[in-house]
Amino acid sequence: MYPDSSGYYGEFGGRFVPETLMPVLDELATRYEQIKEDPDFNTELSYYLNQYVGRPTGLYFAKRLSQALGGARIYLKREDLNHTGSHKINNTMGQALLARRMGKTRVIAETGAGQHGVATATAAAVLGLSCTVYMGARDMERQKLNVFRMQALNAEVRAVDKGSQTLKEATDEAFREYIATSDYTHYLIGSVVGPHPYPMMVRDFQSIIGRELRYQILEAEGKLPQYIIACVGGGSNAMGIFYEFLTDPVHLVGVEAGGTGLESGHHAATLNCGLPGVLHGALSTVLQDEEGQVLATHSVSAGLDYPGVGPEHSHLRQLERVEYTVATDDEVLEAFMMLCRLEGIIPALESAHAVAHAMKIAPGLARDDCLVVNLSGRGDKDVETVARLLKGGKA
Amino acid sequence: MNRLQRKFEELKTRGEKGLIGFIMAGEPDMATGVECARVLQDAGCDILEIGVPYSDPIADGEVIERAHFRGIERGMNLSRGLEFMAAVRDKCELPLVMFSYFNPIHRRGMAAFASELREAGGDAVIIPDLTLEEHFRYRVQDLDVIPMVAPTTGAKRIRLADSVARSFLYCVSVAGVTGIRQNLPDLREYLLRVRANTSRPVAVGFGISSAEQVAGLKEYADALVVGSLLVGTIERYARERKGLLVELANAVAVLKAATK
Repeated sequence: MYPDSSGYYGEFGGRFVPETLMPVLDELATRYEQIKEDPDFNTELSYYLNQYVGRPTGLYFAKRLSQALGGARIYLKREDLNHTGSHKINNTMGQALLARRMGKTRVIAETGAGQHGVATATAAAVLGLSCTVYMGARDMERQKLNVFRMQALNAEVRAVDKGSQTLKEATDEAFREYIATSDYTHYLIGSVVGPHPYPMMVRDFQSIIGRELRYQILEAEGKLPQYIIACVGGGSNAMGIFYEFLTDPVHLVGVEAGGTGLESGHHAATLNCGLPGVLHGALSTVLQDEEGQVLATHSVSAGLDYPGVGPEHSHLRQLERVEYTVATDDEVLEAFMMLCRLEGIIPALESAHAVAHAMKIAPGLARDDCLVVNLSGRGDKDVETVARLLKGGKA
Repeated sequence: MNRLQRKFEELKTRGEKGLIGFIMAGEPDMATGVECARVLQDAGCDILEIGVPYSDPIADGEVIERAHFRGIERGMNLSRGLEFMAAVRDKCELPLVMFSYFNPIHRRGMAAFASELREAGGDAVIIPDLTLEEHFRYRVQDLDVIPMVAPTTGAKRIRLADSVARSFLYCVSVAGVTGIRQNLPDLREYLLRVRANTSRPVAVGFGISSAEQVAGLKEYADALVVGSLLVGTIERYARERKGLLVELANAVAVLKAATK
């Protein structure tokens, strides 16, 4: 199984960080390996996931959407129903409990859409840890609601006004803080990115999504689905739902942010258009120019607006085990509206990328085929953006 | 013996410590930047470190980070950084060390980079995000990659750094990013631990900007690196070429005097 002992998934992964962090990451990896086998830790984590987060999340058959598309039976894995409104809290509860066991008194996090920031602030509040969240100034503007939620949860939100003022710069800044304060701070990375052991650890905490899905779909359909579809920015909700099924005969599809179209250059389709490279501590695929400068990205959804992706996704793409495709801003908006109208569910714009792809392929499938969409988050945070776009404004 | 090894031998014979100056390639522009390098050499810098602007400089504090972003805006990159180094080599004899994050080097390939660096007259490279473990995976012949150690690095890893070093070890003074610090922590225990585990020359960098700091550290190191002070001076005097060259010369003269 991956990763190997150096944190590599085939050619991808590893650790590319300043030396100061190496002993810190070694300790984190060692403690994580011990603690994840500790029955007390797992009991504690299960308690919070069940009683506080609200797991297991439902597997909902989207009957009206399926009928409207006239093909496969579409199921939604309802990660939007988690406390705080997305899958992010599966990981933040796990890492915050781990941080507390390691004797850290503070967690820091980067956030794009603010979902990971809110989930981190929430876990910190309930476990009595102090919390600082780094967020691009531009993202703070487009996700005001989440900024307020974090502040209400007693987290300090630090605006990062450098470069493109989005997730990439927020992550740079969180790394700097981690380098300076790792003796009492745990850096709670929100996706399957970063130096080893983060991609593995975040995947493990998120893989509960796929484990629940297996028994839920077997109960509902008596068989595994033909397709599992998830959006991919850094790729944590996708790894979380794919991991359980890597050796099963199930088509796994990751959907990246196509922005205004791949040919326009305004997108965040890292696996579709990027090259091998190092960003934020791991060797993976990076949107970059021929000189190795990392490029600014565009997506209607702040959570996918990132020029990197987790190393395990790069590996799965190379193996051709997972198909990585894109949905454009326009397709995403249409999927967003359709899910609202037909199913009474307002999806996060990130998750609407996965819905958009399901809408593309479902009509071509047989009526007894079934596909599962990971509905990774709810869209309350996005209503302002969508209202502006529907009036013809720009994302 | 390469240029860096010779320099450390020479310093030892003279009974003084080395002063390593750090500037960003192409700051404030290509031509003035080369003049700055020449002034630093003439004022007493023993080794020059040349930084390559990068989009995500996670080991750098505000002053040098701003210089990275200015460089990006001017279209700087590793190719132009190498051109800058070659232009400096034309005017200067001192050892030149390139400072670049790993991704631009990885994009070119380590072997191609090694030969281009040599052609540009560079003597070594510092790659702040290439860990010792990854160094072994990516190393190539004929490229002197200066290993970094930090206050968090234990004896075993220092010996690992020693095993890859060809000219010297770079000791990061603090757990943190680059930038001027009024007060450095007590580094004696840390630097003695480094000394006990390597026979190579040891340079200390991050946070150093005053003659007092240089004087206080020189007993425990073979060279001291000054970066943010010089980069900040270049930022402040970007539009006053004459003032800039005078300020740089003064700053270096004061620091160099403290190494003797």
